[in-house]
Amino acid sequence: MLPLRYPLANLVARRTRTVLTVSVVALVVVATTLFGGLVSSLKRTFVASGSPRNLVVLRKGATNDGSSAVPLEAYQAVRFFDGVARDSTAQPLASAELVVQPFFHTPAGGRENVLVRGVEPVALAVHDEVKIVEGRMFQPSSGEVILGRGVAGRYVGAALGSKIHFGHGDWQVVGIFDAGSSSLESEVWADVRELGNDAKRSVPYSGVRLRVADGADIDALARRIEADPRWALEASRETDYYAKQAESANVFYVIVIGLALLAGIGAAFGATNTLYAAVQSRRAEIGTLRALGFSRAAILVSFLIESLAIALLGFAVGSLAGAVLGRVVSWWLGGIAFGSQTFSTNVVQLRVGATDLVFGFALALAIGLLGGLAPASRAARLRPVEALRKA
Amino acid sequence: MKFLPLIWRNLLRNKLRTALTCGAIGLAIALVCLLLTMPSGLDALLNRVASNTRVVVHNEAGLVYPLPYSYLQKIRTLPGVVGAASWTWYGGVFEVEKGVTFPNFAVEPEAVGVVWEDWGIDAKQLEDFRRYRNAAIVGRGTLRRQGWKLGDQITLKGTLYPVDLQFRIVAEVPNDRAPFLLFQREYLDQALRAAGRGGLDTLGIVYLRVDDPSRVGPLLGQIDSMFRNSEAQTASETEKSYFASFFSMLSAFVTIILIVTGLVALCIVFIAANTASMSVRERLGEIAVLKALGFGRRLIFATLVAEAVILAGLGGAFGALASLGFTALLHARATTWNSSLGPLGSFIVTETILVQGLFLALFIGMISGVVPALGAARRSVASTLREVF
Repeated sequence: MLPLRYPLANLVARRTRTVLTVSVVALVVVATTLFGGLVSSLKRTFVASGSPRNLVVLRKGATNDGSSAVPLEAYQAVRFFDGVARDSTAQPLASAELVVQPFFHTPAGGRENVLVRGVEPVALAVHDEVKIVEGRMFQPSSGEVILGRGVAGRYVGAALGSKIHFGHGDWQVVGIFDAGSSSLESEVWADVRELGNDAKRSVPYSGVRLRVADGADIDALARRIEADPRWALEASRETDYYAKQAESANVFYVIVIGLALLAGIGAAFGATNTLYAAVQSRRAEIGTLRALGFSRAAILVSFLIESLAIALLGFAVGSLAGAVLGRVVSWWLGGIAFGSQTFSTNVVQLRVGATDLVFGFALALAIGLLGGLAPASRAARLRPVEALRKA
Repeated sequence: MKFLPLIWRNLLRNKLRTALTCGAIGLAIALVCLLLTMPSGLDALLNRVASNTRVVVHNEAGLVYPLPYSYLQKIRTLPGVVGAASWTWYGGVFEVEKGVTFPNFAVEPEAVGVVWEDWGIDAKQLEDFRRYRNAAIVGRGTLRRQGWKLGDQITLKGTLYPVDLQFRIVAEVPNDRAPFLLFQREYLDQALRAAGRGGLDTLGIVYLRVDDPSRVGPLLGQIDSMFRNSEAQTASETEKSYFASFFSMLSAFVTIILIVTGLVALCIVFIAANTASMSVRERLGEIAVLKALGFGRRLIFATLVAEAVILAGLGGAFGALASLGFTALLHARATTWNSSLGPLGSFIVTETILVQGLFLALFIGMISGVVPALGAARRSVASTLREVF
């Protein structure tokens, strides 16, 4: 075996060539991790949403709460079912909610659909990931709203203490809430009755969120709700509900993979070129090594290591640059707005995550191997006599 | 010009390297061209589906906010309006587990033929749609996907309204722009009354058709001012801007696409520069001999840069044409593979994009060639020859 120092020292010997090839791999890694990060950040906000101990109750067939309607009587019955958790005053932890998507106006003059969730104060106990970080909870029937972090600052009047216009009126912003970077952070919460009046809804609720009591069987409760013949309802775990919403991001993965494939093959071509040149300029050296008794396998491995080192260096530089660029872009655009399945806006913070890095790493590795294989085998196949004679 | 054969020979000297560089540049240029189709592809998509004489009127507060049904009458009688139809989301699902797989709306059957004249629905089928209370028009793509044919009976379960409706498919929208199912508004209204829920007194949005595209602009303002002090204010817009608002939320995504395009372009510079510097380095001795024979620095510099430009230009042409072929194939075939791929057919590499890609390649070839060529042209003959021999 050739010492590891040999291929690494060769990288330093042809500095310009190494730097250029490393840059190519790095750029490919940046492009794919950035793109992949965008899609996975969107997925993450959905996957981070919801609790495994909560049930989403919607009308049968409705895929999201924007397209569902649940009558008052259904809510009144469901909340007293066995297995629904109670708070210290024995009130059921059942949150009846109405979802509408009014236009919100951006300072630049654009408009976006934002999800406004009409709730009662009990919602804070059911959605326990929601924490008010500034101001306070709204008072029912007083025209007050609280904003998720992603919404605050994004629209005209979307700040603590100011008035924001949506629907048919102006609403006083009294609080800002955090929801652990989940999609709830792109929502606005208002009093459910006030919101229903404003939107002129004949059916008061879109759905009900239930907290399941400790020790109770969540699936049994879901089955009982679905079996009730009076209302055609459907109950699913909140985590499953949001996981389904996340599937809308999958289309974008096709673009990311296509991009990675094309750019990756291009980069592999570049790496092949560099190594062929290296083999060419080192014929005499290789001949000498073979004459000294180093095996073909040793030469092959040595050149592969050289190629892999270039690729891994490119990955290191590229992933670092991708992570930094992701943050800069996210900050510059003030979060990246996505239209979700429900046509409401989801504000996503672009973060390059572990899976994106793994993907970038695999890509770099493939570039290194594919790019190195042909030149390395040519080097290994050089016949020592010929190599030395030509030199 | 007489040096062209020399440049060409130099390019062919290391065929493998030339091919690999060409391939890398070609792939990258193809990628840039494909990414560049995204912004204009969205626009083309909108122009394809939207009509310039159709106007959408919706509640100023948002698309899910209804309008009073009486608005339709008032809009219909405005001068210049040829026809108007309300468009109310029913939210019916065919298979409960899958949710809403195609949008379905309640409309006025008399108005369909006028408002969506450009859809080209068969006149006899339209007549049936008007005649039968439970009639439905279904878009071609949806018909195909569900395996339905004219005359079939289907039942949709309501998710927003507490009534299920049974339909008979009597007409087809013979294009892929309309995946909808449309049915008579009266039918939903009567079903709601029968269920004791009262009639349908609101509508979702109003679609109307104007006789002359030049009247659209003034009409938009006229409608909105007519309802300014009513119970619900309206926002009117052209069909194109209405559809565009569904895509506008993707603007940040487009920004990222443009950034990535820039990165890929930079990538090509490095690949091309690497090749140029390698081939110059291997030819130092030769270049010194040429200079010793009396060929000038400028000439040496020009031939080397020209070599890089030709190489990049070849790769660029190859890549741009490949992307053109790919999108043309998508355009021709997308709908026959799978009707949901239809929108992809709008992302076409236009002549402008082709030229942009080609010029990008030439420009990149030039900057990648300049530095190594300059170095080679400047190198002193004596020291090079001493090193080489």
